[in-house]
Amino acid sequence: MKKYILKRILISLFTLLAITLVLFILLQLMPGSPFNDEKLSADQRAALYTKYGLDKPVFVQFFKYVGNMFHGDFGVSYNISKNTPISQLIAQRLPVSIKVGFQSVFIGALIGLLLGIIAAVWHNTIWDTLSTIISVLGVSIPSYVFALALSYQFGFKLKWFPMLYSTSHEFYSSVLPSISLCMFTLASIARFTRTEMLESLSSEYMELAESKGVYGFRLIWRHALRNTLIPIITVLAPLIVDLMTGSLVVEKIFSIPGVGSLLVTAITSNDYNVVISLSFIYSAMYIGIMLVVDILYGIIDPRIRLSEAVNE
Amino acid sequence: MKKIAVIALASAFAFGITGCGKKAAESAAGGKALNVMIEVEVESLDPQIATDGTSFEVIADFTDGLKQMKADGSVTDALCAGETVSADGLTYTFKIRSDANWSNGEPVTADDFVFGWQRAADPKTASEYAYMLSDIGQVKNAAAVEAGKMSVDQLGVKAIDAKTLEVQLEVPVSYFDQILYFPTFYPVNKAFFEKCGDSYATSAETTLSNGAFVLTEYQPAAVSFKLVKNEKYYDASRVKLTGLNYQVIKDSQQALLSYKNGDFDTILLAGDQVDQVKDDPEFKSVGAGYLWYIVPMMQKVPELANLNLRMAMTYALDRETIVKNVLKDGSIASFASVPNEFAYNAKGEDFTPNQTEFSDVCAFDKAKALDYYNKAKTELKKNSFTFEMIVDDTTIQQNVAAVIKEELESTLPGLTLNLRVEPKKQRVQDMQDGTFQIGLTRWGPDYADPMTYLGMWVTDNANNYGLWSNKEYDALLEKCTTGEFSQKLDERWSAMKQAQRIMMEDAVIFPLYQQANATLIKSNVTGIEFHPVALNRVFKDTIKQ
Repeated sequence: MKKYILKRILISLFTLLAITLVLFILLQLMPGSPFNDEKLSADQRAALYTKYGLDKPVFVQFFKYVGNMFHGDFGVSYNISKNTPISQLIAQRLPVSIKVGFQSVFIGALIGLLLGIIAAVWHNTIWDTLSTIISVLGVSIPSYVFALALSYQFGFKLKWFPMLYSTSHEFYSSVLPSISLCMFTLASIARFTRTEMLESLSSEYMELAESKGVYGFRLIWRHALRNTLIPIITVLAPLIVDLMTGSLVVEKIFSIPGVGSLLVTAITSNDYNVVISLSFIYSAMYIGIMLVVDILYGIIDPRIRLSEAVNE
Repeated sequence: MKKIAVIALASAFAFGITGCGKKAAESAAGGKALNVMIEVEVESLDPQIATDGTSFEVIADFTDGLKQMKADGSVTDALCAGETVSADGLTYTFKIRSDANWSNGEPVTADDFVFGWQRAADPKTASEYAYMLSDIGQVKNAAAVEAGKMSVDQLGVKAIDAKTLEVQLEVPVSYFDQILYFPTFYPVNKAFFEKCGDSYATSAETTLSNGAFVLTEYQPAAVSFKLVKNEKYYDASRVKLTGLNYQVIKDSQQALLSYKNGDFDTILLAGDQVDQVKDDPEFKSVGAGYLWYIVPMMQKVPELANLNLRMAMTYALDRETIVKNVLKDGSIASFASVPNEFAYNAKGEDFTPNQTEFSDVCAFDKAKALDYYNKAKTELKKNSFTFEMIVDDTTIQQNVAAVIKEELESTLPGLTLNLRVEPKKQRVQDMQDGTFQIGLTRWGPDYADPMTYLGMWVTDNANNYGLWSNKEYDALLEKCTTGEFSQKLDERWSAMKQAQRIMMEDAVIFPLYQQANATLIKSNVTGIEFHPVALNRVFKDTIKQ
């Protein structure tokens, strides 16, 4: 087991390093530079390049950057917020994205699970159809459409919630963004739960349980749902990262000071350090969660570990 | 599994409880504080580092320089209590107001200006606007200091005493006062700056005010922040607002809805929203100063080196159609290379009083266009031409370009204009590198003098994208900047007019339109000043009923 975990961790670290290198090279290939205002003279541009070390070869820049990263130094922003350490920008903005993301995962997973169970238990009834319709809509309509519709209806028309995110009313103003973001999770979880649940319900151990006199809520909760939940973790894990790292458009619509909107601005303005740091963090979170899932799987289902060992 | 569920539930409740513990949102628009929308985050509140309009606006909310802008855009004293200029126009002596103080109680001194200016010129600061001191302001030794050839203390600015500042220039600069309201020239309290170190101007605590407002809530790249009225401001009785609440909104439709919801007192609109609000009495179109124009690459495209072809093209452009049917935001058709309403002489005359001054050499005229086109075809021995125009990837510019293409192709049979849409930074790069045939570009004024435009078409200027060169033009501009007219203001004025005629008659650029910004301002708010140069909005005289 130890060997398995160690191997997984090493692969993850290597992947992260490779991602950073690829990003570094891709950014060099992007048109323009962080300082291509037409009003800058060539001398001024050169002075800025020297100041930020951009005059050095890419590989020198890369190794220096990676070295600094071990000390938590992600460099400074070139133009979104001039000379501000990226670590400070991220420390300000990541918690906001995580919070909104977490709220939407929670709402989405909870309602999705309920819808899935309802659809499976009352299979082929009006409830099943209704739940399926909701799932299809949730998967197919992008979150910004929900964002615009909710903000218009509940923010502008009914004035139940603020139209914009506000730091003085964090929870209250994050309700609409969380609901807009949760729809995809909700739909995915509902569909997945329904399928898994139907499979469990028709399995032999359910028949056995029923014949032993277990029925109703107890039967669903203890026997069907528990077996359904395990595969759901696989679906949920990447969804969590997606949502925590923020939805770019939803952040823009509600003016949420999160990392998603920061990344978009950074890409369009060639703020190299911000792009690299954020992509690094996104990747690290994704790889981290996948690592945990892998390890959990290894624990839950020893066959996975064994099959790897055999392959070796 | 149970554990995960429990943790999830507990966390959700924790969020819920802290959230519900807070009061429901109060109306943001309450009080006499102005609720202002901005489209982008502030890049920097450091006056010597900032480069964009939003940052300049906010810095000027809480900082005064020697001079400030009046509502009509002309210059007047701010921290300056008296100014003398030597007979040769090379030495300026400024007296600083005795009642001007920083928000920490310390007086604003001449040393604060010396320190601020030295920072701007110091290559270690790498200030992008350092050229305001050297190229534009001609402050003595500024160019050498910026190039690292001299130390900052050799810059031509010194404190005679605590309240007297002396500035020396390389050559007389007729518009020197007008550039002093530019944030690059603002003072910085050295002791405070050194105490803050790298964190200078990154929060309310690391910012000092000597202006109308004081920053109370801010963090780098914040989407909302606040300023309150500075009660210790020397001109506090003039300021009627209790504060300014800024909020970044990048989605223009959300901005409009929030404005209608009462969350804002003033917002900026996107061009395509103007149709929705043009009959609203709160709608206002304000000049943005930007001149949009077409640049033909004369040196590298042989056909475009032909004057008759260029004249045919500029005569074929119906600018009125573009502003009336495409832009529809109050932008005005332009027939000159310098926009109006930003550069005035001592008599208060606008350099470009109306846009029709050079319409004889460019306004839409199908017959003239064809006439020149036929001459060009004969001279070039060609019957068809194909060019490529590079265009920014914004919706508005693509729409404008589509109309230009249609106008040129229908008026000049045989001419084909292909459009290449690029992100702005790529488009700028291509124009700087000279790898284009025709480019659609814009220029905003840096200071209130026609030279901010005319200077671009001097031989070898980095922004002379078409690589045009004319000895007579260069000589005239030389006389106006460093030569004999630099102190003879009337002669300078007419020489600049003459220079403009030369370049317009040579169709160096095809001017298109002068951009306007569409805004909404609540009817109970008056006195927001809009300027096309340096400080886009000033709120010192704003009143909210």
